[in-house]
Amino acid sequence: MDQDTERPEPSPRRSFLAAFISVVVGAVPIVIGSLFFLAPLWRKKSDATGDAEGFVDTGLRLEALPEDGTPMLITVTQDRVNAWNLYPDSPVGSVWIRNVAGTPLAFSSICPHLGCAVEFRSAIHDFFCPCHNSTFDLEGTRLNQIPPRNLDTLPTKLVDGMIWIKYERFRAGIPEKVEV
Amino acid sequence: MIRAVGDWLDSRTGYRDLMHEVLFESVPGGARWRYVWGSTLVFTFFLQVVTGIFLWTAYSPSTQTAWESVYYIQHEMFLGDLVRGMHHFAAQVMVVLLAIHLIQVIYDGAYRAPREVNFWVGMVLAQIVLGLALTGYLLPWDQKGYYATQVSTKIAGATPLIGPAIQELAQGGPVYGHHTLTRFFAMHAGILPALMVVFITIHIYVFRRHGLTVADYDHAPDTTFWPDQVLKDAVACLGVLAVILLLAIFKGAELSAPANPAEAYAAARPEWYFLFLFRFLKFELVEHFGIAFGAIYVPGAIMLVLLAMPIIAAIFGGAGHRFNVAFLAVLSLAIVGLTGLALVEDATNRDHQAAIAEAHRDAERVVELAQGTSKIPVAGAATLLQADPFTQGPRLFAQHCASCHRYHGHDGRGRIVMTTNEAGESEVALPTAADLGNFASRDWMRAVLVDYTDHFLPIEFSNRYKASVAGEDDRDYINPQESEMANWSGDHESLVSEENAENLKALIEFLVAEANHPHQTVDAALVEQGRAVALDGAWNGMLEGTSCIDCHDTLGEPFEENPDGSGSGYPDLAAYGSAEWLLSFINNPGTDQHYGEKNQMPAFADKMSASERQMLIDWMIGNHELTDVHDYPSSQPQVQAAIESAVSADAER
Repeated sequence: MDQDTERPEPSPRRSFLAAFISVVVGAVPIVIGSLFFLAPLWRKKSDATGDAEGFVDTGLRLEALPEDGTPMLITVTQDRVNAWNLYPDSPVGSVWIRNVAGTPLAFSSICPHLGCAVEFRSAIHDFFCPCHNSTFDLEGTRLNQIPPRNLDTLPTKLVDGMIWIKYERFRAGIPEKVEV
Repeated sequence: MIRAVGDWLDSRTGYRDLMHEVLFESVPGGARWRYVWGSTLVFTFFLQVVTGIFLWTAYSPSTQTAWESVYYIQHEMFLGDLVRGMHHFAAQVMVVLLAIHLIQVIYDGAYRAPREVNFWVGMVLAQIVLGLALTGYLLPWDQKGYYATQVSTKIAGATPLIGPAIQELAQGGPVYGHHTLTRFFAMHAGILPALMVVFITIHIYVFRRHGLTVADYDHAPDTTFWPDQVLKDAVACLGVLAVILLLAIFKGAELSAPANPAEAYAAARPEWYFLFLFRFLKFELVEHFGIAFGAIYVPGAIMLVLLAMPIIAAIFGGAGHRFNVAFLAVLSLAIVGLTGLALVEDATNRDHQAAIAEAHRDAERVVELAQGTSKIPVAGAATLLQADPFTQGPRLFAQHCASCHRYHGHDGRGRIVMTTNEAGESEVALPTAADLGNFASRDWMRAVLVDYTDHFLPIEFSNRYKASVAGEDDRDYINPQESEMANWSGDHESLVSEENAENLKALIEFLVAEANHPHQTVDAALVEQGRAVALDGAWNGMLEGTSCIDCHDTLGEPFEENPDGSGSGYPDLAAYGSAEWLLSFINNPGTDQHYGEKNQMPAFADKMSASERQMLIDWMIGNHELTDVHDYPSSQPQVQAAIESAVSADAER
């Protein structure tokens, strides 16, 4: 390599071209692959099914709920799309549901703090998350500062006396209720 | 600032010396295009690593999800077809580049001292590339990869002593299953690429130690790798990339139907660069010595000669080198020749072409079904085709019906039924029953009504019919020339005259409505007019008052099977051509309710399972999800020509 110094400096034009083409051929597969990988960020594919508004039948009549407003835990099942498969009638989540003066009131059982499942403590009459001690009253209002927001309510409607519910998931750990 | 960071980094790592070492390699005789091949191989490997890792993020190796995830990549995911296409074609480009590189190294004598070891390292790399190609071929778990790889593992299993153990280890068990995929995937995406990186590093390191093999030191002034040779290398890589992209975009990677061990795949072929070996193994002489001879000893011996080339050249000098080049030339010619032979044979082999057509039809159909609203069942996409009349009907027809009937001239699966004549030549077999390609359609109904003789003419070619005509069989079979129906149909003048044109059209519409095939729309007003023609004889002219129910007295009623099979003496045409009528007919066409004594067709109630019969019927009447997949082309002209020549030969006699 001693004789390197005797050679003229490499031509800048050629150096630039060599570097440029090398970067291009290297970048093309990386860019194409990255777009393939990142596509879920802008190609939202909903896995939800149900009626036109996304409600599903819980199979539960309003009268089946305790009249005193005691919450009941139910499992919501609906057809779920999982990439190339469609799982008919599979459990998608559990919901606390109450009869509040003839109207169903439903809460997602997922704690808005960090996503554990909240329990109903019948002795104390509150919702309690065993992971980090978040507590909520029966209206879903938080009773301590551990959760960032109240329990997430879910839209319900009555169809011929049957409770229909729209099961949604929300981002955990933030004060706002943002659907994921 | 950047300079300062660079200085700091250099003082801690010495990267500038390394970069200098890498980039300012001496290139005596100037940069040349002939030096680019090694770099294009490294680039193609880089491309495979990148696209492979991204495919990895979406691939799921198990027998119920491998094809399904690849289908999802190919048909649903953003740019998935491009990423997979690049990976698919880069693998093939790599084999081509490898061959060029090897030929050049041997031709230029670059394998000779002091570069023997690096030549051997290169040969190891070649084996790794072939190993990657072989393992990657199975991963989509489609029919093509499944059956081609079956051959590879069976060959491995034919290795003396260790063969069975190797085969079982590769498969992860005695037969293909989940663990075949997980093992092949671990080899393909883990072990082999890691080995590749190690050996490429050694290859380049040793290459740098001895430098380029320069053919002509005076070609141009000496230069360095950077930038002159890098520019040429980069342009070559750009060319390689362009070829790969064009193939990926305009040709696209194939995905055949999901692997199904129960469904033979007649179109099975290895990837094109293994075709020579495939063809070699087909020679009877090779076969004679056993599979291990053709697939292991001969390729092994060739590999040994290649590996021994540096030694041959060292012992025999120039003569040894000339031998090596000659050996390579003969080998290349043999490979090209065998590959060409295999391609030409396949292109002219009607059965193989039909098998390919069927493979394409299945591949398109399964994608169509997978894109339907119920998506792919959890049991896997293979079940989609198993339950699909459009896919299974033709197979059942070919198996059970095509020895007598045809379907648009072929056997249902696109193959012309052939027979061997007395002279030992292959020729188009004559059908001995009606062509069911358009069963119970308007064309069919019209043919039965106005062209009865021609429509059922093939019956005359059956052996029983001939025996009956010759007086050797005392039964009378349905006679296309002479029967009440043939005579009625042959009584053309009034039937096809202007005065009854509308009535005939209406009658056809009525019959099509009675057959009631799904997806078949009819003109309701015309149907009612046709009903009057059929049931009340509302014809004009000579035919007036002659109604179909004079003989076929249940026409227009729902079909009901008589438990005792009794009949009126005429075929029961209630709901003629419908699913119910067809099932009864296929179950036992020889009852008096159907053709009775005149029947030649076997009863299929005991020959096919209930689900098979239903599948066949659903296909015949189109009771399945509509499809945009092209059906097999008609072979009607070939069959018609055979019939005409048979008829004229008969007439001469």
